[in-house]
Amino acid sequence: MAGNRAKRPRVGGALDRFAPVGLAVGAVLALVGLVYAFTVTPLVNGASVNGVEVINGVAVSNMLLLSQKIFYWHMPVAAVSFVAIAFGAYYAVRFLMTKDAAYDVRSKLCMEIGLVFVLCTMFTGLLWTRFEWGVWWTWEPRLTTYFILMLLVFGYFILRNAVADPERRAVYASVLSILILVDVPICLMVTRLIPSSVHPVVFRADSGMSFEMVLPILLSVVGFALVAIGLFRLRLRAQILEDRLTAVQEALED
Amino acid sequence: MNPVLEEIYSTIIPSAPFVIGAYALVFLVLFAYVAFVLTKLKGVERKMDALEERVEELGK
Repeated sequence: MAGNRAKRPRVGGALDRFAPVGLAVGAVLALVGLVYAFTVTPLVNGASVNGVEVINGVAVSNMLLLSQKIFYWHMPVAAVSFVAIAFGAYYAVRFLMTKDAAYDVRSKLCMEIGLVFVLCTMFTGLLWTRFEWGVWWTWEPRLTTYFILMLLVFGYFILRNAVADPERRAVYASVLSILILVDVPICLMVTRLIPSSVHPVVFRADSGMSFEMVLPILLSVVGFALVAIGLFRLRLRAQILEDRLTAVQEALED
Repeated sequence: MNPVLEEIYSTIIPSAPFVIGAYALVFLVLFAYVAFVLTKLKGVERKMDALEERVEELGK
């Protein structure tokens, strides 16, 4: 598969030197977000109670919810999963334009990272749903569209394993990756189109989220984004080394 | 304890295992992927060793 060598994606540059540092910094930022969420961010209100109590100078007449703290990592990992899948589709488009295998490798690894964060989102969401609603699963719009996204990502890897020819595998996987991207905006926008009490619209002008709530979310989103980039670059280097070794071994055998 | 305060804080303890479990699972999934990447790298090292031996054999 040939490509314009002047514009081929490269490894070994500044981005790869930055990857381990980025991974560490990202982990620290996500942990800082976590600690901030548990120590500074106040508990949110739940159902009302029979009476009022003054707690820390504030009149409280609702249950205080610890379970909502899951949100401070649930939303960031979901956001990063969408971005990883979007990059997978971007590299898939680049592969279909250039037929350069380097883009197919990157697309596959982005989908791998996307799958990791999809699983993180599903696990945190399942535990939150189980406590809040008493069930492990409910077929509400966002859960359903995200479940479909997860199945499509699983299907992507099943497809890659099922096709033996490298070029056909890359083409089919690229097309599927682009189709998977179609589900991402649906997942994002579905709660605005079909209102749901399980997944209220979070980002709106009157969301009622204070600075103490927004800050840990931002820290965790940036943190997990750096973790995803670091993991991607490390995985890419390992994959490229493995491919080069395999090529050299095959050349020696001939 | 004051019954109103008791009701205000009534969901804290029951929800704690779910909150801890959620964060623990995120750690677990991410560490599992890091372990996967390290395993791939170890595989590359093993192939590299085998390749070096093969090159030595060819050189003799």
